[in-house]
Amino acid sequence: MNRNRSRFQSSAAVLLVLALVLSACASNKGENNKSQQAQQSDTPTTAATEVKQGGELTYALATSPDTLDPHRSGLAVAVRVIRTIYDSLVVQLPDNSIKPWLATSWEISEDGLSYTFKLRQDVKFQDGTPFNAEAVKYNFDRILDPATKAANAAALLVPYQSSEVIDEYTVKLNLATPSRAFLGNLSQALLGIVSPTAAKKDGDQFGLNPVGTGPFKFVKWEENAEIQVTRNPDYKWASELVTNTGAPYLDGITFKIVPEEATRIGSVQSGQVLAAETVPPQNIVALKGDSKVQLFEANTVGLPYTLFFNQDHEPWNDVKARQAVQLAVDVDSIVKTLYLGTYDRAWSPLTPGTFGYDPTLENSVKPDLEKAGALLDEIGWVKGADGIREKDGKKLSLHYVDGTPNREKRNDIAVIIQQQLKALGVAVEVEITKDIRTIVYTNGSYDLYGNSQVNSDPNALYSFYHSTDPKALPSLTRLSDPSIDKLLEQGRIETDDTKRADIYKQIQHYIIDQAVILPIYVFPYTVAADKSVKGLVFDSLGYPLFNAVSIGS
Amino acid sequence: MREAATASTIWQKQRGRRLAAIRFRRFTASNLFVLGAVTVVLFIVACAIVPSIIAPYSPTEMLTDSIMQPPSAAHLFGTDYFGRDIFSVVVYGSRDSLFIGFASVIVGGLAGGAIGALSGYAGGWLDAVLMRCNDILMTIPGILLALAIAGALGKSLFNIVLAVAVASIPGYARIMRSQIISIKGRTFIQASQAAGASPLHIFWKHVLPNSLSPLLVMATIGVGTSILTGSGLSFLGLGVLREVPDWGTLLSQGRGYLTVAWWICTFPGVAITLFVLAVNIIGDRLRDQLDPKKSMR
Repeated sequence: MNRNRSRFQSSAAVLLVLALVLSACASNKGENNKSQQAQQSDTPTTAATEVKQGGELTYALATSPDTLDPHRSGLAVAVRVIRTIYDSLVVQLPDNSIKPWLATSWEISEDGLSYTFKLRQDVKFQDGTPFNAEAVKYNFDRILDPATKAANAAALLVPYQSSEVIDEYTVKLNLATPSRAFLGNLSQALLGIVSPTAAKKDGDQFGLNPVGTGPFKFVKWEENAEIQVTRNPDYKWASELVTNTGAPYLDGITFKIVPEEATRIGSVQSGQVLAAETVPPQNIVALKGDSKVQLFEANTVGLPYTLFFNQDHEPWNDVKARQAVQLAVDVDSIVKTLYLGTYDRAWSPLTPGTFGYDPTLENSVKPDLEKAGALLDEIGWVKGADGIREKDGKKLSLHYVDGTPNREKRNDIAVIIQQQLKALGVAVEVEITKDIRTIVYTNGSYDLYGNSQVNSDPNALYSFYHSTDPKALPSLTRLSDPSIDKLLEQGRIETDDTKRADIYKQIQHYIIDQAVILPIYVFPYTVAADKSVKGLVFDSLGYPLFNAVSIGS
Repeated sequence: MREAATASTIWQKQRGRRLAAIRFRRFTASNLFVLGAVTVVLFIVACAIVPSIIAPYSPTEMLTDSIMQPPSAAHLFGTDYFGRDIFSVVVYGSRDSLFIGFASVIVGGLAGGAIGALSGYAGGWLDAVLMRCNDILMTIPGILLALAIAGALGKSLFNIVLAVAVASIPGYARIMRSQIISIKGRTFIQASQAAGASPLHIFWKHVLPNSLSPLLVMATIGVGTSILTGSGLSFLGLGVLREVPDWGTLLSQGRGYLTVAWWICTFPGVAITLFVLAVNIIGDRLRDQLDPKKSMR
């Protein structure tokens, strides 16, 4: 009986493998037949004279959003949906300038401690609630209220203190300290404006019944399957980022949650969905030759994917040890091998496009294994018989922690670095774990850990490189250097843009010269879409905007 | 056989000759198959023992300027997305895969066999309790049980072996118990009891040796099943990220490249298929040889 069962399992496995092989052959053949025509995909078609109204866009997401309450969310994937439902007070353009959105104008006091916003008077929430100064005050106080359990929004709102309603359409926000990042943060979707009526009514459940002022209204959310939004016919207050200032052309959008990469991309090719996000590099290369599919790409802005040394651990508190690793890791080769030329290499703790990014850092680090070895010899780590360096009987090892699953091939980066550092005589122990929260953030048991952050302002560096209160959660780098602390504090408040850019240049140079981190790649948000999809654009952080999207011509 | 030869009637002689002829034909017919299977298993075991002789490249060497090359003379199975020679990686990867296969069969077979023997020979309430527990375990599909155990214990090679072993225990226990019970009731055991032998003596000298062959057959086939379960766990992401990945991990990592470089996950898959198939053929043959009903009639 049992033997039969195991034999059944084996034959089932044989069939499965055969099926895999066959399907692989089939799809490969299909690809060879495809025309190799080049295409312009990065220039979004603007809504011209004739735009087709109506239609439903199906858009495959890579993972499920955590919540659709912008103030409680912490996931980039949630922002893609959140952005369709909510608007912000201001908008940030790709050149980092701030323009009106729900606010028509604003004044900043001399001391930089209060911002007075004049609001649009023709805006209504999707549930009919009027948008006014009270609503704005309610929103920011809601984020500040510990009972809300606000996530990233709370961090973005710092140093906000309180609001004063001046009149129906004028609101004054008071800050504890001046902050140059504040307006940029206000433009982010996580500080989007929610309907006070709905938020009060639904409380904790607001994330499941979201209501904002955005171009689309929430319809339904089927757990791990799909989220539906429908056109907001009253919409006429779009930001400068989109050409269509009125109601969207689409009838609605259905976001389908399709975690499996191959399925997600395959469903665009087969026409099951019209668009799918996060295309793996090998598919980007293949899709470029597909005549039915177009690719949209937008580099994300903020902090690139960066490997952070934990300076609490020996010998990585020694600049020479870190520089040795910096010289031994061939980032160019990693990025080229894994991303096949579809991702750009990062050189700085900031991505290009972020205010203050210093392009002079590009090509500043070149792999030099000999020099790297000499640096380690200098501080007493000498190669032992097995090729691994040792000092006082201790082997030189590096604990590399990464999260699962292999998002953006981050696990594969670990595998390559392991091999590259072996040549230097460093034994890299790779730990792939689901529990990043405990292992990295609570216990700090890592020597090297990678992360990235989408952000609108270089002030994002503050939480990674400024020294922290001994009682607070330490930063990923554990860096504690008074000179950098001072620069980071100045960068926060400096009102002169030239001076401010100079401050961030100094910080970036310090971080690379001291090998505090290894910047790896800049993540391009990619969307594969059917050729009939037109007008998809991205905001300055790389999130998609659907206001001017139409299907067919 | 010997009895047939010593018997002197013509009928018996004829029968003996006829039987031998049938058996010979049957043997040669399936022989090629078995021979092939044995060759495959021997080759893969050799891969696991001395990979450096068989593999043309180091499994960790990344030829970054020749990534995702299709199979060619230089790279028999092509190269993967790191630029590693897939043939070499598969050869080295056999180590972990076979280790999981054999180690979990040894652990699971010993534990299951012991539980089954104890249960079958002791009988009574102990039998009832052990078998009911066994029944409960059997209601859970093996791979699910292994998944749950591997998930709870965390990622390590040892935990995977343990998970696969525990998942296979109920099967071994069942088969051992039924065999023990059937031998226990035979007349030669009753004769031994009548002669005053102690129960322990009877167990070691008579019951156990006569009950082992089905377990052996099952363990042989079990090696294949265990490799499959182990690969399944790795495929589902419970595997260990080691410098040289096992076949299941290779399969899982190559999956995302199926449409652009089919060879990355095809060849590890073929290796699993071939090995499991070969082990099953050998196990089948072993069963035929050891089955008294088939060989003596």
